[in-house]
Amino acid sequence: MLAFAPVAGRTAPPSSVVFSRDILPILSDACFQCHGPDAKEGRKGDLRLDDEADAKRDRDGYRVIAEGHPDASELIRRLVSEDPEEQMPPPKLGRPLSPTQIDTLKRWVAEGGQWGKHWAFEPVVRPAVPEGVHPIDALVQHGLDAAGIKPNPPADPATLLRRLSLDLTGLPPAMAIGDQSAVISDRENPNTDHRSPITDHDWSAIIDKLLDSPQYGERMAWDWLEAARYADSNGYQGDNERTMWPWRDWVVKAFNENLPYDQFTIWQLAGDLLPQANPDQILATGFNRNHMINGEGGRIAEENRVDYVMDMSETMGTVWLGLTLNCCRCHDHKFDPLTQEDYYRFTAFFNQTPVTGGGGNPQTPPVLEIAPPDAIAARDAVRKERNEAKGRADKAAEAEKAALTDAFNTAEANLKSLDAAIPKVMVMADQKEPRKTFLLDRGLYNAPGREVTAGVPPVLLPAPDAANRLDLARWLVAPGHPLTARVAVNRIWQMLFGIGLVKTAEDFGIQAEYPQQRELLDWLAAEYVASGWDTKALIKTIVTSETYRRSSAIESPSDFERDPANRLLARGARFRMPSWMIRDQALAASGLLDRTLGGASVYPYQPAGIWDEATFGKKTYTESRGGDLHRRSLYTFWRRIVGPTEFFDTAKRQVCEVNPLRTNTPMHALTTLNSPTYVEAARFLADGVLRSHPDETTRLDAIGVRLLARKPAPAELAVWQRSLERARGAFQKDPAAATSLLATGAKRSEPGLDPAEHAAWTALCLNLLNLDETLTKE
Amino acid sequence: MSSWHLLDPASPAPLRDHQLAMNRRQFFGRTATGLGTAALASLLDRENGLAAGSPNIAPKAKRIIYLFQNGGPTHVDLFDYKPRLQKVHGKPVPDGYLGGKRFSTMTGDPSGKLMLQPVEPFQQHGQSGAWVSAFMPHTAAIADELCFVKSLHTDAINHAPAISFLLSGAQIPGRPTMGAWLNYGLGSSSEDLPGFVVMTSVSKGTSCGQIFYDFYWGSGFLPTRFQGAKFRGSRDPVLYLNNPDGLSPELRRGLLDDLAELNEMKFRAVGDPEIETRIAQYEMAYRMQTSVPDLTDLSDEPEHVLAMYGPQVREPGTFAYNCLMARRLAERGVNFIQCMHAGWDQHNSLTTELYTQCRDTDQPSAALVRDLKMRGLLEDTLVIWGGEFGRTPFIQGDLANRERWGRDHHPYAFTVWMAGGGVKPGISYGASDDLGFNAVENPVHVHDLQATILHLSGINHEQLTYRFQGRYFRLTDVHGHVVKPILA
Repeated sequence: MLAFAPVAGRTAPPSSVVFSRDILPILSDACFQCHGPDAKEGRKGDLRLDDEADAKRDRDGYRVIAEGHPDASELIRRLVSEDPEEQMPPPKLGRPLSPTQIDTLKRWVAEGGQWGKHWAFEPVVRPAVPEGVHPIDALVQHGLDAAGIKPNPPADPATLLRRLSLDLTGLPPAMAIGDQSAVISDRENPNTDHRSPITDHDWSAIIDKLLDSPQYGERMAWDWLEAARYADSNGYQGDNERTMWPWRDWVVKAFNENLPYDQFTIWQLAGDLLPQANPDQILATGFNRNHMINGEGGRIAEENRVDYVMDMSETMGTVWLGLTLNCCRCHDHKFDPLTQEDYYRFTAFFNQTPVTGGGGNPQTPPVLEIAPPDAIAARDAVRKERNEAKGRADKAAEAEKAALTDAFNTAEANLKSLDAAIPKVMVMADQKEPRKTFLLDRGLYNAPGREVTAGVPPVLLPAPDAANRLDLARWLVAPGHPLTARVAVNRIWQMLFGIGLVKTAEDFGIQAEYPQQRELLDWLAAEYVASGWDTKALIKTIVTSETYRRSSAIESPSDFERDPANRLLARGARFRMPSWMIRDQALAASGLLDRTLGGASVYPYQPAGIWDEATFGKKTYTESRGGDLHRRSLYTFWRRIVGPTEFFDTAKRQVCEVNPLRTNTPMHALTTLNSPTYVEAARFLADGVLRSHPDETTRLDAIGVRLLARKPAPAELAVWQRSLERARGAFQKDPAAATSLLATGAKRSEPGLDPAEHAAWTALCLNLLNLDETLTKE
Repeated sequence: MSSWHLLDPASPAPLRDHQLAMNRRQFFGRTATGLGTAALASLLDRENGLAAGSPNIAPKAKRIIYLFQNGGPTHVDLFDYKPRLQKVHGKPVPDGYLGGKRFSTMTGDPSGKLMLQPVEPFQQHGQSGAWVSAFMPHTAAIADELCFVKSLHTDAINHAPAISFLLSGAQIPGRPTMGAWLNYGLGSSSEDLPGFVVMTSVSKGTSCGQIFYDFYWGSGFLPTRFQGAKFRGSRDPVLYLNNPDGLSPELRRGLLDDLAELNEMKFRAVGDPEIETRIAQYEMAYRMQTSVPDLTDLSDEPEHVLAMYGPQVREPGTFAYNCLMARRLAERGVNFIQCMHAGWDQHNSLTTELYTQCRDTDQPSAALVRDLKMRGLLEDTLVIWGGEFGRTPFIQGDLANRERWGRDHHPYAFTVWMAGGGVKPGISYGASDDLGFNAVENPVHVHDLQATILHLSGINHEQLTYRFQGRYFRLTDVHGHVVKPILA
């Protein structure tokens, strides 16, 4: 077990009204639209309720908030007024305050109307935690005690192993941990009691093994790619292919090498500006260049360029600050204390690249060439050859001209192909001459207002000297920054529990909910920074808690009703896995998975004509061959205007997205029931167990272990056998049908299996790939 | 989003309470017969109907068919008759019409551009006397069913932002589209098909192909079950619809029964209401395997009906085929059907491609209105025909080279028509100036059109909201007025 030193800190808040938790959300939600920070548009009645001085000042004989005197406060009078002309919020808005909310405001005024800052903008203070208990469990217990909910017991070991393995590698345990693992082989051993708890020592060893596997980096990279709006094409009309995949491989490597998050941040935002920047640090800045590129005719280059700059700043805002900066494009933020000027000061950091915005070149410089040195040298040699040929041809007499021109043409063609084979990753570099930045009226590129300089909002953390991207990046990870660590740990929590401690991973602003588990969030953030931004350690800290290891079963309807979304964490997480993980799991369980790491993107199965239809025949999808059909989903070529068809609920990869979608449409079911990926996986899962296990029972058990990390219970076994019987009957009657089913997918089975039998097991496996439990992490 | 995650503490309270109640029913309302109907309803989102806003307006349109004409149909050549254009043909744009307005970079500065007369003559049609050009004979023949809005105007100048603006209320992608809002607000009336279906097509005779971006039918920040289900323009409109080769429907049915039984066992063991949703999801998938082929099986269509839609009606992926599909979807309870047709971008092809463009769309559009009327569906189906903007009354290209006459994008006045579903038939509303430049009489902004469409569906556009990133969003942003004079 990890040791946790108790640290003195803030104690639990008293039960009286707390401004940031109880009052600010009401004011923000109900009042700031008209009485908030936005100076230009919409402020009514010369009143700011986001500003203590203004809200409390004397207004010729009356006050909006008179501390200690609700009866003398105009705020309260207007809230309870029954005159529709006076009542606030105005009844026509249709969003009245509840009696409880009004009562809370009254109590607050009566208690003195103490003001405060939005919680997420206050520095992280590490809460005190008791000794001898995992801090996460201790902090979660506070909330459970207050609600009178009893936490679930631990999940059984098999469920836990599967949960952990999927969470940390995106692959089922037998594949991720390996059949030779002592822990797992014991669990596959029929003589082992599957219900015996895993010792802390074993649990820690398994966690380390998973965190050390290269599949960990691949798993972590998916979410980061969605946040970074990574894709393999530009988007928009034309949708030209780009070669940003070396950046994607860098992300995987960075996670695997556990690059501390502060460095991970600095490299990606400003690696190019580091002293003696190395190629990896420059490559990392590709993060910023993953935005869409518009090559449409009729677009104004400068308008495109401004779009790109805004996209870079807004992505930074969402990923690191958890703030929706985009509101400030056109006006001061309606709720958060961010001004339009703050927004444009952020854009000034990103406004310095030499990009002009013209054309749709998917490798618009600055670019970094990623290839072995000899490939670059060979290309450069041919370029020299071509230039020399041209020079000679220009000067040569008529008689020699033809031969020299031929030489030039050959070299030119050669150069083109050598150059095309060298991936060029768009990266960051600032031009020598600083570009001026202006506040843009309504966000329009051609409506510049006053000039602004690069800078950060002091309300978060003052940094008066911040002048370039490197300063910005360092500011984000500077000691005392209130947001960066909170936002980052919240995303990790969201990944593991399905929902963040702050539900809106993209918004930590005033309109975001006050986190019920604020102390837990702050403890994790403090711990993360104190560990040197050690992401693997953070994950290990979380998954060693009892909170993480609880059973996800809903033990009683009353507990469920009290906390249906499990925000108090009495239960373990249970949610449908992301579609990419469902596919990877199927490939891994069937033994088809090709574990090659990295490289150019691949083209797994896709129905014919999808690209042609979306691009009027300009782009045609050519499926990969061999192992590339079965690579991890991370490596699937992502065309922006028509994403891969086998995934659902993924980010669109058009703009930054950090909040996962989880829907259940019939189209998803059709995909996992009928697409060749799943039929082929079922066929090989069947193939594997038919060859390696001697009889029906051990085969069925093996399928259970591969998909669910457990053997089927007797009642389930009866249904599985019934499915098998159905399928056997059908395929014995119709051998041609068996042959057809077995023909799905490019990879052929070795000969030697009875087709009807193989088809029957395939049908069973396909069904089991669609079990709720298979699709769900529980 | 799953029912689990529907329990969204950040969503408006009425919705949350409703969801709590729904989950309670899922938990306790199960019957001995197996699948709880509440779970099915949650998947179909019927019970969610109007959770978002109260139905304070009597709905006139139970369903909407939007015939979206992507590219910017040329209002001055099709519906907005301006006799003065003939008089000023070949002359520079007169003073007072442009006023520093922005045009596409292809036009740049519009001053000095030459005016261009309509390519085809206009005539009045029907009892209403609507002016329609010879480009559109079939539409002209149903003029008395139509309500022309001739004073529409928009904020955007390029295709994607303008289409996004019209369909989602914002030029930048990422907001929910009209169909998603209505699907969210009203739910679906079909148990066998999604509530919002999209089909796309492209004129066979045009070279310019605008891309159909999926954000044109996206759900933005609304849960994705509200997004448009894009039916593909081929014999298989839904991907992965067919069972794998060799797996018979009988075997699949049996296997799905087994699957449901196993999922039921799991539900009994762990009590997660999400599992009920899963069971319903798979049942719906199975039903679509039957309902979608039934939808696309045209053998029950009489010859005279098919003939009405024109010669391309049997070809999947054509506008004619999609119009027929739209009627069949409407009959099957799908509430928002978006048929998108590309190719209206006549920068240099008014005298060439525009004919093909009209041939591909005129007859099917008119046929759809007639067909709906014959079946008694028109009175509660709103059909809307129009694009993202109009085209400049001045020429793009060389006046001497008639073969290459064109017009550029024009957001300041354009025409849409509507039919059925609570709008007055046989009227024209609003007007552009005498040259078709600017909406001058009863201007209708895009947000007004959106407010009106929601109103016809029984929804107050100011009350259909969704909370995201800390604020309440709506289709009409903070704008929009219902265009009351066109309401029947």
